[in-house]
Amino acid sequence: MASPRVRTSVLAYALVAPSLFGVAVFLLLPMFVVGWLSLHRWDLLGPIRYVGLDNWRSVLSDGTFGNSLVVTLVFVMLVVPAQSALGLAAASMLGRRLPGSGIFRTLYVVPWICAPIAIAVLWRWLLAPTDGAINTLLGHRVEWLTDPELALPVVSAVTVWTNVGYVTLFFLAGILAIPDGIHDAARLDGATAWQRFWKITIPLLRPTMFFVVVTGIISSAQVFDTVYALTAGGPQNRTDLVAHRIYAEAFGTAAVGRAAVMAIVLFVILIVATVAQHLYFRRRISYDLV
Amino acid sequence: MTSSSRAASGAAIYLLLGIGAVITLAPFVFSVLTSFTSTRQFATGTPLQLPHPPTLANYTGLADAGFGRVIAVTALMTAVIVLGQLTFSVLAAYAFARLHFRGREVLFWVYIATLMVPPTVTIVPMYLMMAQAGLRNTFWALVLPFVFGSPYAIFLLREYFRTIPADLINAARIDGANTLDVLVHVVIPASRPILVTLTLITVVSQWNNFMWPLVITSGPKWRVLTVATAGLQSQYNAQWTLVMAATTVAIVPLIVVFVVFQRHIVRSIVVTGLK
Repeated sequence: MASPRVRTSVLAYALVAPSLFGVAVFLLLPMFVVGWLSLHRWDLLGPIRYVGLDNWRSVLSDGTFGNSLVVTLVFVMLVVPAQSALGLAAASMLGRRLPGSGIFRTLYVVPWICAPIAIAVLWRWLLAPTDGAINTLLGHRVEWLTDPELALPVVSAVTVWTNVGYVTLFFLAGILAIPDGIHDAARLDGATAWQRFWKITIPLLRPTMFFVVVTGIISSAQVFDTVYALTAGGPQNRTDLVAHRIYAEAFGTAAVGRAAVMAIVLFVILIVATVAQHLYFRRRISYDLV
Repeated sequence: MTSSSRAASGAAIYLLLGIGAVITLAPFVFSVLTSFTSTRQFATGTPLQLPHPPTLANYTGLADAGFGRVIAVTALMTAVIVLGQLTFSVLAAYAFARLHFRGREVLFWVYIATLMVPPTVTIVPMYLMMAQAGLRNTFWALVLPFVFGSPYAIFLLREYFRTIPADLINAARIDGANTLDVLVHVVIPASRPILVTLTLITVVSQWNNFMWPLVITSGPKWRVLTVATAGLQSQYNAQWTLVMAATTVAIVPLIVVFVVFQRHIVRSIVVTGLK
């Protein structure tokens, strides 16, 4: 008869087994497979051939991937500050707790709940050149998605429109967690609403800011659905975000090895960005909370 | 602040919040109206007229395009994944929260580390693995990567299970309950709020999932709603009334879920980051 300790371990591993299988096969194994694939050539159907560092050389030397990294960087720098600023502005208005605030808060989250691909298809119509809703309202034709200068800002704007309500929720929770007493004391000392916002609300929201910015960067660096339906990376690759480039290489031109290289580079960039921000914000946060 | 300037700032806030609400909702209103507009009216009139008379032709058009099966496949996929993910996550979370076993801390650390693995990175190798297993364009391929539980759900459940008083579980044990009894009669009833939250998270993320079904399925057999909507748009680019009916079908079920559970969802987004 096994000891109770051993029996507990057997039971525990039996309970953990299904999820352990899932984690091992669908999260850990792919990380090894992607590394292996980056050293091979595969066209989705035929045999897989070892090609050494060929994929790495070709991806790092041609301009397509470099362009995607730059496009993604610009996209992240357009989306994250805009959605954070708008979310903060909305949250500070909702934080006044005027009657009906709850309804607005809920309304703003609706786009975020919906399928991003459906949202993108919807906006494709709203922005359509001749029979789209927006050009009809404007009364003249603007090439929102085919003008090389406009396409990336427009795709960014649609992303911001989708995310603002979600970001607002976090800032609102942060604002409502600030004790009223702090504001009351500052008010007694003669601080204006504007001063209180910058000297109390903003510093105390640093942890929220950290969360919103980090998750904002990680998710916007991986946006795929929105560009897939709005622009398919065009015009002239101006909206060719990294996730879309990976998809296009693997499933468009069937250069799976090259797509694997790009996926690895994206992964490393996301990890470095996360760690760097952790280090930066940890210093600032601990300083503020003293 | 004087009472008149306070009233003025209140009015300004309502104005700004109202503008925000219009910008948020107008696209949905336009698309739903368009989905009830006849192709002829859409082609001849301006796009923003009210449908007169409203027509269901676009929705019957969707039915002709095979959307009945598409909705059934999507619902089945979502249901299977929700059921599997909840069951297996609860089992694992219970072990991590309540049982002492060798390797528990290391194993849990590995689970947490996998939260850093972005789906964009795993999609290409997972495609290869499915292809090698001969599972391309099968129902299995749609559900397998998600059905065995999610580290994130396990993390949240573990935190929650740890707050259940040990006395409650010990009392059941003394009454002769085995682990399964304890889970079904004590742990799960005590964890209703977090289980509802996880169900909602999983329904939303799976119903909306696009990239994986797009690459792993082909043809009408296992087509899901997101893939069908995107396909319709590229196939009938100019037929916006039909396409807007498709986006409405993709969006409205989740908006209904959202309205019914809105308090719960809003709270759980803040608690969990709902992703």
